[in-house]
Amino acid sequence: MQLVISTVCLALTSAVIGNAYLQKQQFYPAVVYITKSNASMAVIYIQFFVIVFMFGKLLRKIFLGTLRAAEFEHLLERFWYALTETCLAFTVFRDDFNPRFVALFTVLLFLKSFHWLAEERVDFMERSPVLGWLFHIRVGSLLTMLGILDYVLLMHAYNSTLVRGPTVQLVFGFEYAILLTVIASTTIKYVLHAAEMRTDTPWENKAVFLLYTELVIGLIKVVLYLLFVVIMAKIYALPMFVFRPMFFTIRNFRKALNDVIMSRRAIRNMNTLYPDATPEELRQSDNICIICREDMVNHSKKLPCGHIFHTTCLRSWFQRQQTCPTCRLNILRTPAINSMAMPRADDAANPAAAGGAGAVPAGAAVPGAAGVAPGAAAPGAAAGEAVATAAGAAGAAAAPGLDAHTNGAVARNAGAPNFADIFGDASGLSNLAGLPPPPPLLSPFMMQSPFGYFTPPVVPPPPMPLDLTRFNEEELLAMEGNLRQHIEERLKMLRNISLMVDSANLLMQQYQLLVARLPPPATTTATTTTLPAAVAAAAVPVNSSPNPVYDEPSTSRAAAAKVEQTTHHQLSAAAVAAAPSSVVSDQVTIEDLGAEDDDDVDVDVDVMPSTADNCVNVDNEESTELSELRKRRLKFLEERNNSPTTTTTTTTITTTTSSDKTD
Amino acid sequence: MAGSALRRLMAEYKQLTMDPPEGIAAGPISEDNFFEWEALIAGPEGTCFEGGVFPARLVFPPDYPLSPPKMKFICDMFHPNIFADGRVCISILHAPGDDPMGYELSAERWSPVQSVEKILLSVVSMLAEPNDESGANVDAAIMWRERREEFNRIAQKLVRKTLGLPT
Repeated sequence: MQLVISTVCLALTSAVIGNAYLQKQQFYPAVVYITKSNASMAVIYIQFFVIVFMFGKLLRKIFLGTLRAAEFEHLLERFWYALTETCLAFTVFRDDFNPRFVALFTVLLFLKSFHWLAEERVDFMERSPVLGWLFHIRVGSLLTMLGILDYVLLMHAYNSTLVRGPTVQLVFGFEYAILLTVIASTTIKYVLHAAEMRTDTPWENKAVFLLYTELVIGLIKVVLYLLFVVIMAKIYALPMFVFRPMFFTIRNFRKALNDVIMSRRAIRNMNTLYPDATPEELRQSDNICIICREDMVNHSKKLPCGHIFHTTCLRSWFQRQQTCPTCRLNILRTPAINSMAMPRADDAANPAAAGGAGAVPAGAAVPGAAGVAPGAAAPGAAAGEAVATAAGAAGAAAAPGLDAHTNGAVARNAGAPNFADIFGDASGLSNLAGLPPPPPLLSPFMMQSPFGYFTPPVVPPPPMPLDLTRFNEEELLAMEGNLRQHIEERLKMLRNISLMVDSANLLMQQYQLLVARLPPPATTTATTTTLPAAVAAAAVPVNSSPNPVYDEPSTSRAAAAKVEQTTHHQLSAAAVAAAPSSVVSDQVTIEDLGAEDDDDVDVDVDVMPSTADNCVNVDNEESTELSELRKRRLKFLEERNNSPTTTTTTTTITTTTSSDKTD
Repeated sequence: MAGSALRRLMAEYKQLTMDPPEGIAAGPISEDNFFEWEALIAGPEGTCFEGGVFPARLVFPPDYPLSPPKMKFICDMFHPNIFADGRVCISILHAPGDDPMGYELSAERWSPVQSVEKILLSVVSMLAEPNDESGANVDAAIMWRERREEFNRIAQKLVRKTLGLPT
């Protein structure tokens, strides 16, 4: 087809020229003859376009090789749009309409097509499995050539506008300026892609660079278009022919801006809200990022729901959607405090409730226990008052069925203190206090507790469970429920925690008031009859997800040591946080907290009441720990005194006086 | 190192080749372009499409897997959830946010966790159990609901056609 057209055209041209030459016999008259005849000129013009077209093909062969089908399609589509716009531009400049003008527009369209093709090629780089050196040479030379041409033509247009005032060169100058920005962005993209190809590892920040390139180039383009429209509207008429590209440019710019904002938000979220996945967690999961299907060696993040992904994969996904790719948990609406996603409460509830009397694993370090503990805790907290009475019974019982960690467990007879009273106290206090709920914890694992009243535990948290192989599939699955009931349970749990924290806060305030009023030489009493404190602030985050994370014990231990020195022989009080009763936590972190003797004040296990500067790492499993500790404390007191009245005393405030009383 | 979309597609291709699910074959049309795949789907047994082998084309966006691919049968199809031009209309192929039919839960939509294999398996189950709530092809949906025998007859005809048998 093309060949036929070219041949016909060539034949026509030769006929026209031959005819002219035959008639005039000399060069100059022949030229005059042709230019005078409209038909001849039409043929010459057509020949000119054919030559341009063929030249374009030649250049394409040199610089681009064969076009892919998609490239050709896009080229054609854009070409027709550009052609229409050129025709529109002709209407504005109909006074200067002459062959030179048409030629200039032809050159512009010609160059534009190559810009589009270069853009497509560079975009294709990312999708192409193999690229030879030929590709790089071609793209490199094409970009250089186009850049130089754009610059030269821009300068020409600029100079001619300066010399001759605003003419049609204004349009060309503007068009070449736009093309220069296109070349700039294409070159930057090319450099970025090429740089990534040279390395064997994925270049994580490339997406960010690309995004910002897009933004800056988009901004320049928008400014250029606006300037052009204003200038054109002042000198000529409203330039209709740039409205379509301007619209698309503005839309792209808006999108880029939006992307940048979303990306920044995603990055910020990721840096602040979600912890890096630890090597242990990576080992325990299958270690494949489900987004890119590649190994996660480093730079991976763990979402509140426990799913782990590459940081970069997650970032690009969060630019579009703020949900977990796996479970679609909306991560923006989920405060990070939920990050300890509760397991299926009902699963663990049965064994916990069933255990009327059983074994409390006394060892703080019970590997494997951690993953299950919240399971046992959840129903207790969730059920709230309803469980309160049962809590005592169940409280001392380790959940049977979690036999994996009953080794080292000490069987105890469970006394059943009346937890309902305690709970009532607590809620009353919290109502009185009306304290605002604590702010949501930002980082679930690393953040210091916002309520620094609790002394840190001295016993380091239990080590990581080394493997989760003892759980079967269902148990593991059960730990991450996201059905309605689970979410409801979690919400209830959170409410209870907030209640508990409020009451604990109040208690500590009262305690501090009392301490302030007390005479300084408390040591005298302390040396003799100080009751060991049973302050409960366990810093053992228990994670329901298969990969529990633990706090760094070092800081809390150091803090505790300091406290121990200073308040060594001073009065110690048991400020037991009155908490909503939780059922059993089969995992005890502070060993023998309640069971120590009066003489054992120096033992490193004792926990001193602290002032506000002692920070404790508390997370939302605190209730489990607190109730556990309190329960043990109560039990201890009971065993010692066999007087149930002390329990209530302890729960409110235990100062030196009250501890004396208990003795 | 190539782009992440390409690497992921290569990984999926590899996985599909090494461990192909039953009744499904898929791969790039040419190894030069991993963004266009062809898939062959066997009609699920015990349904009116049993025995048929249906070719389809998958076109992946440059930002795969963040955006879903497009799927289109390149043979004649008559099915409530397949447009007359062969485009497949299932929720897993729709990005969250756009909802052409206005009934899909976002939980059923595309997410990077999905894969070619899952898409094709969903299509197989869609063949087996059309969702006549979403009318990509309203005629087919109505026929499926009201004149099942006729629907089955047309399906059998299509099956024979895909196998190159005289109908």
